[in-house]
Amino acid sequence: MSFRENGLMYALGSLVVGFVILQAVVFLIKAWRRGREIGISVETLKNAVVQSSLFSLGPGLSFSATLLMLSVSMGLVLPWIRLSIIGNIVYETTAAETALNAYGVQTGLAAPVADPVAFAAILWVMTLGCILSLVIIPIFLKKIQKKMGSTLQKRDNKWADAMSAAAFIGIISAFIGRALAGQGNMKMAVPGAGLMSVAALLSSVGVMIFLEQLGERKNSRFLQNFAMPISMYFALVLVVVLAQVLPENIAFFEFRGRV
Amino acid sequence: MKKRSYIDSMHFTGRIWMVLALCVMISVPLFFCIGNNAWPTLFSVLAGLGPIAVIFYPTAVIEVIAFSPLLGVGGTYLSFVSGNISDLKLPCALAAMESADVRPGSEEGEVISTISIAASTIVTTTVVTVLVVVIVVLMRVFGMDDTSQVKSTISFLAPALDNALPALFGALGASYFRKHFRISVIPVAVILILLLFNGTLASGTLVPVGVVVGLLSAHIMYKKGWLKNA
Repeated sequence: MSFRENGLMYALGSLVVGFVILQAVVFLIKAWRRGREIGISVETLKNAVVQSSLFSLGPGLSFSATLLMLSVSMGLVLPWIRLSIIGNIVYETTAAETALNAYGVQTGLAAPVADPVAFAAILWVMTLGCILSLVIIPIFLKKIQKKMGSTLQKRDNKWADAMSAAAFIGIISAFIGRALAGQGNMKMAVPGAGLMSVAALLSSVGVMIFLEQLGERKNSRFLQNFAMPISMYFALVLVVVLAQVLPENIAFFEFRGRV
Repeated sequence: MKKRSYIDSMHFTGRIWMVLALCVMISVPLFFCIGNNAWPTLFSVLAGLGPIAVIFYPTAVIEVIAFSPLLGVGGTYLSFVSGNISDLKLPCALAAMESADVRPGSEEGEVISTISIAASTIVTTTVVTVLVVVIVVLMRVFGMDDTSQVKSTISFLAPALDNALPALFGALGASYFRKHFRISVIPVAVILILLLFNGTLASGTLVPVGVVVGLLSAHIMYKKGWLKNA
């Protein structure tokens, strides 16, 4: 069996995945208990779990695209590990490519990595390239939180609200901007803005506005809580249907092509 | 003995888990090298790490400063281990806080954010694990030689897999832009202008730009008294 998918790799993968899930369970229990202590209702806590789970299912499934893409060169286990711990497509592909280049492997991610030493180099680069946050958080997070907390307390609530909304809107803008005007990348299999991305974006926006207003009008707690995941899944089903019914050159047209 | 506050206890627990996470992460390349007796040279690792560190180390610092006040203490210790923060964990946490009608920074917000990120982490990690098992089973049952055959079998789902982010951020954007229209205009406009000049800019680059522009423009509007109905 290949060194990329042998028993040792599966054991290491299980260790990483087990660790990540265990940490999440421990934090979930701790926060749940504290929530009950400070008077948050079980229903509110349950809603947070259900809503976040539904919200994560779609993007979680979309990781399969990254998993399959990286598995060609690295086997299944390493992408599985990397997507479970500090993983994302841009980081993983960049790290793997630079490690392979440094090792003189010219095929990049297009062919299986046959040399265990080059594979080991990828593992080290991927690991060392993303551990800085794990080093600085235990040392500096308490200070950052204290500083930010005291800054916010000196100001009024309106600025505190506006500040968190503005930071998050900045994040949303980046992804919406890419869906409207981004260019695709052939090598990293990153899609560009096109009919599909605009259809997904606009249908999700439309359904969300409709459901929010319906929820407010009917005073439906369910709609108010689950409008977001419903809108997201509607958009995902829509693009699958569009891809089936539209001619391929129209359905997969990207405004700016791919580099 | 004085009882630790919830936040202090989260810092204590979080630090232990962070150190453990570091050990687990390092154990992967270390045990691979030991198990396969395959040791790359220090030079080759550093040559590969250099270009990565130049991009991702400053990004890591910016992300910790920009995201941790929104994620809360527990949320930060959790999400920086499992990753995908700006494109999944943070949106999840903020949507959950909005639904529960609590604010980031408050103790209620801290609790809801941690619960939301924990649930998201469990779901995504489980989904990826199940996908690996399904792919392995599919390959064995249908005698497929490599994963490219699996890829072509599920190609009809590709549009959904490729467009999960526009779908997710469309729903989030609709809700946020409606409530905070004034502070939304400038970050969206700046990102679009940047993309018109360079369409290849990745979301990893655009996110810090969007956050800084969003905060600066909101601050100016706040100072000018334009945020009465932001």
